[in-house]
Amino acid sequence: MSEQRFVQVEVVRYLPENKTPEKDEPFSQFFEVPYTESTSILDALQYIKEELDSSLSFRWSCRMAICGSCGFMVNGTPKLGCKDFLRNYPNGVRIAPLAHFTVERDLMVNMEEFLVHLEAVQPFLVEEQQAKAQGVQKYTETYQQTPAQLAKYKQFSNCINCGLCYAACPQFGLNPEFIGPGALALAHRYNLDSRDHGKAQRMKVLNGHNGVWSCTFVGFCSDVCPKKVDPAAAVNQGKVESAKSMLIQMFKGNS
Amino acid sequence: MSRFKGLHLEPLWWGLFSAGGVCFAVFLPAVLLVFAVLAPLGVIHLNMNALATAAGSIWGLLFVGAVICLPAFHAAHRIRHGLHDLKLGGGLWSVVLCYGAAALISASALWGWLALTSWF
Amino acid sequence: MAYKAPMKRSWWLQHAAFRRYMLREATVLPLVFALCCLLAGLWSLQTSAQFHAWQQFMAQPWVVAFNLLALVGALYHALTFFQLFPRVMPIRLGEKQVPAALMVVAQWLGVVAVLLAMLWLATSGVLGAWQ
Ligand code: SF4
Ligand code: FES
Repeated sequence: MSEQRFVQVEVVRYLPENKTPEKDEPFSQFFEVPYTESTSILDALQYIKEELDSSLSFRWSCRMAICGSCGFMVNGTPKLGCKDFLRNYPNGVRIAPLAHFTVERDLMVNMEEFLVHLEAVQPFLVEEQQAKAQGVQKYTETYQQTPAQLAKYKQFSNCINCGLCYAACPQFGLNPEFIGPGALALAHRYNLDSRDHGKAQRMKVLNGHNGVWSCTFVGFCSDVCPKKVDPAAAVNQGKVESAKSMLIQMFKGNS
Repeated sequence: MSRFKGLHLEPLWWGLFSAGGVCFAVFLPAVLLVFAVLAPLGVIHLNMNALATAAGSIWGLLFVGAVICLPAFHAAHRIRHGLHDLKLGGGLWSVVLCYGAAALISASALWGWLALTSWF
Repeated sequence: MAYKAPMKRSWWLQHAAFRRYMLREATVLPLVFALCCLLAGLWSLQTSAQFHAWQQFMAQPWVVAFNLLALVGALYHALTFFQLFPRVMPIRLGEKQVPAALMVVAQWLGVVAVLLAMLWLATSGVLGAWQ
């Protein structure tokens, strides 16, 4: 066991029931939390909830950086609570809800604001029209894919839908209609997949002003992504694709 | 007119921005060092006649395109998005203003080149 | 029943990553100044009187200072742009991707090559000479 120390943890809270006509704002609460080398931000929140103030609300599930539900702003940077540690903040830490989202209560934000954009890009393999027309619901044969075909999209397929990139994206903050890094990265991932047939549908979303063209390559989304998806690269590769798609539409018409 | 439905000029602006970005990064350091720093500081003496002849050639046209026109559109694109970032605009009037100014600078540069060519 | 924080105009001051982004975007401000200087130089090649006037204008300390700023801006822009390029246009050979670092180095070699060529043109007597 490593030595136990204490650190001050500031938690930005919001309680909708405390709303008055004059005031409807988050407030800060401070806690002294003991920690060791292995105390994560999420552990700290759980300590607070169990030992200091049971009214604190936050989301979590897997504790191993795979469910994507424990995203918070940690000292102003979007982080997964279970993947970041108190030992990184010996001088105190401030935990706030993910930026650019609507706060529902304490550290819980309305993820719907990200999920509607995710849904819009059809983040799944779209089967061949032909197969559908023939009434075939599912392919019975397994899809075949060469390692080279897999390599094309593999990097972009590790997304866990945590929304950290949205909290890192000022363009999403300025314009909530922007489809945003995570969803655009997944759109790109499926567009690059040799088994997919949904690119034409997705390009309609990507081509719009709220699609890839709202991005200014701030790049912070890729810095904060816990799965190294590099959404900024995906979005900007999407610009090349979008430019091609619009040129083709101009000369050949819309199919 | 489904052929033109949903089309807009963003790909054009982005293409010019990208090409201008390459030129800004690759050519501008050298050009600025020679013409805007070393020559004014008196380290290098420029020969006006040789410059005028070179500028009036096809190389001069390439220079104008790569060193003035494309970087101007690069700058226009960033300023337009910067206005949006600072919540000062970014909409239609910024588009007209920014790319319009870049077009003006480009037209002036091309005309300036034409005026140096032997056909003028 | 929910709270949405306003996006303040000063959002970019709140995080170092955003300040770096704004610095990158701002490199075009001295660039615009430098472009106007170069444009004036192009027009001044009409007569030697105009060319001398342009040279005098360019030699003023504040003009040199702004152009130096533009030069530094161009180098900072290059630093950021070269890193973005391999991500936007990755070169893929089968399963492997050309390493980004290699593409960054290649681009800097391009800058050096252009610099040497320009210096040679300006100092070997083709367009000018060492003072
Ligand atoms: S791209 Fe990265 S940061 Fe964005 S939602 Fe997916 S895993 Fe999270
Ligand atoms: S709890 Fe699942 S990602 Fe942190």
